[in-house]
Amino acid sequence: MVRESRRPDATPTRRPSSAEPLASIGRRSILRTPGSQARGLTRPQGFSASGRKIAPPTATPHARAAFRTIDSRRAAILTPHRARRKSVREVRDSPRDFLLSLGRVLARNTEVITTSSSSPGDQEKGASSDATSSDAPLGELGDDYNDDDDEELPKRPRLSLPIDEEDDDDSDDLQPHRSVLIDDDNFTMQSIEMPRRATSEQPGGRFSMESGRMSDYFNTNDILHSEDLGIDSGFFPPTAVLHDGNITMGLDELPSPERLDSDTGRHDLESDFGLEIPVGDLNESTFMLAPQVEESPGRSPIADAEPAYDDYAPLVDQRSDDFDDQDLLEGVPGFEEEPEGTTNMALAEPTEIELVASKRAEARGPAKKSIKVSKYGHEYPSLPPAVVKRLAQGFAKASGAKGKITPDALKTIMQASDWFFEQLGEDLQAYAHHAGRKTIDESDVLTLMKRQRQVNPNTTPFALAQRHLPRELLQELRMTPLVAPKRRRKAKGGEDEDVT
Amino acid sequence: MAPQKLYPRATVKKIVKAHSNCNVSKNADVMVSIPPTRRPIACSFTDAAQMFLDYMLFMQTLMKEAAIEAKQGGERSITARSVKKVTADSLAKFRG
Repeated sequence: MVRESRRPDATPTRRPSSAEPLASIGRRSILRTPGSQARGLTRPQGFSASGRKIAPPTATPHARAAFRTIDSRRAAILTPHRARRKSVREVRDSPRDFLLSLGRVLARNTEVITTSSSSPGDQEKGASSDATSSDAPLGELGDDYNDDDDEELPKRPRLSLPIDEEDDDDSDDLQPHRSVLIDDDNFTMQSIEMPRRATSEQPGGRFSMESGRMSDYFNTNDILHSEDLGIDSGFFPPTAVLHDGNITMGLDELPSPERLDSDTGRHDLESDFGLEIPVGDLNESTFMLAPQVEESPGRSPIADAEPAYDDYAPLVDQRSDDFDDQDLLEGVPGFEEEPEGTTNMALAEPTEIELVASKRAEARGPAKKSIKVSKYGHEYPSLPPAVVKRLAQGFAKASGAKGKITPDALKTIMQASDWFFEQLGEDLQAYAHHAGRKTIDESDVLTLMKRQRQVNPNTTPFALAQRHLPRELLQELRMTPLVAPKRRRKAKGGEDEDVT
Repeated sequence: MAPQKLYPRATVKKIVKAHSNCNVSKNADVMVSIPPTRRPIACSFTDAAQMFLDYMLFMQTLMKEAAIEAKQGGERSITARSVKKVTADSLAKFRG
């Protein structure tokens, strides 16, 4: 085409009447102005295949150009950005059309947008079918012409392109973006560490075990454990919070409210108590009150958020049961009933377990230990809360936390420790089985600690033991350095004493 | 601190045994038999002690994280909320 066009340039007068060469030349010039587009349209007629109206061939190119200029101006006025695009379209449209076609194939929704953008102008202009039709086809025609005119076309359109294209991109790409966004969200949701660990860790062992219990506990324990209900339901938590806050807060505040003025919560409380505060302060106090209110709900949402691990709530129930029994010295029998149900499921030998449990309870006393059943059907106690509390407080102080650990916090810590031991047992079991043993060995524990990255070349288990184990043990350890520390063998006092 | 038990060894063993369905070997017995002459040495660093040590490390992590969480949450002391928030991560850290 280009070659032909050049020839006519040499002898312009005759050939211009012959359509093709002129048209090609015209296209180049046309790109700049809408009138030029009209000439380009002469060929575009073929594009009627696209289904859109095309200017009738009968109209002279100049007439078409005139119509199009008029229409384009109207369009520019009526629909500013898009009409402008169309005028300059040809170059731009080429990539755009491909995208549009893709969009139509992939997502039909996009069609509506594109048609709406192009159609309104056409419909409005409808009376002059030629002009209107010309606008629509121009964009599409551009594709074909691009092959011919790619070299020249890009230059001029660039000036106006970026703005218009951005608009086009926005309108056209919106849906793909949305879909992408949705996909991204899903991926992000899935890509977080959660799945990796979650698949192996959380749902499997714990859930299976405790989910079974969950139901049992819910049935029986709901009445017993108001706090658990509170966490789940969200109604009670505020009260629980208040209790916590009051216990810790109250002790601190009541004796010396003045000292602690800095704290906002106290201001709130004070404002509540003292009515003398000016209006402005009252407003502030109201705002301040809101945060307190928020705190109480804050727990429930958090509890809700975590339930991604559904286990937590149920576990709380267990813990609470255990904890209550131990602390409150309440009915061990009530507690025993629950495990029985679970044991029936697992062991099918409830009677023996019951007897054992009752015997243990009798022997140890009610406060001693609450009994749970693992997924293997074994009963197991939870760590004595006193020990847990001591450890927790010690580490809490070490980590710089003030105040005491509230009973609720202790319960949750007890839960966490139960989960920890459950996880520990599973891991150790895995290691032992992998080694072909049925007994958990020292090497398993060492492997576990290495994999937990608690033990590394710089920190030996011996060092950890020295750091964390009670001093009595350490003193005895120092007494007997002869035993190879590499093996982590350390001396202790009487074994019996160690045993609970 | 002195009067406390060193650690609830039997409890630890029971818990782990229940969860793993495996026996927990006692190094202690072996050690006792090996150096009978020295009494104080009798116990080795048993598996239970080691596991309890691991538990202590876990507790340390848990409480540290909980304290941080509590501070960020503007709480005055470690509360159940902060502990709950941190529990999952801490457990994940101690996943073998």
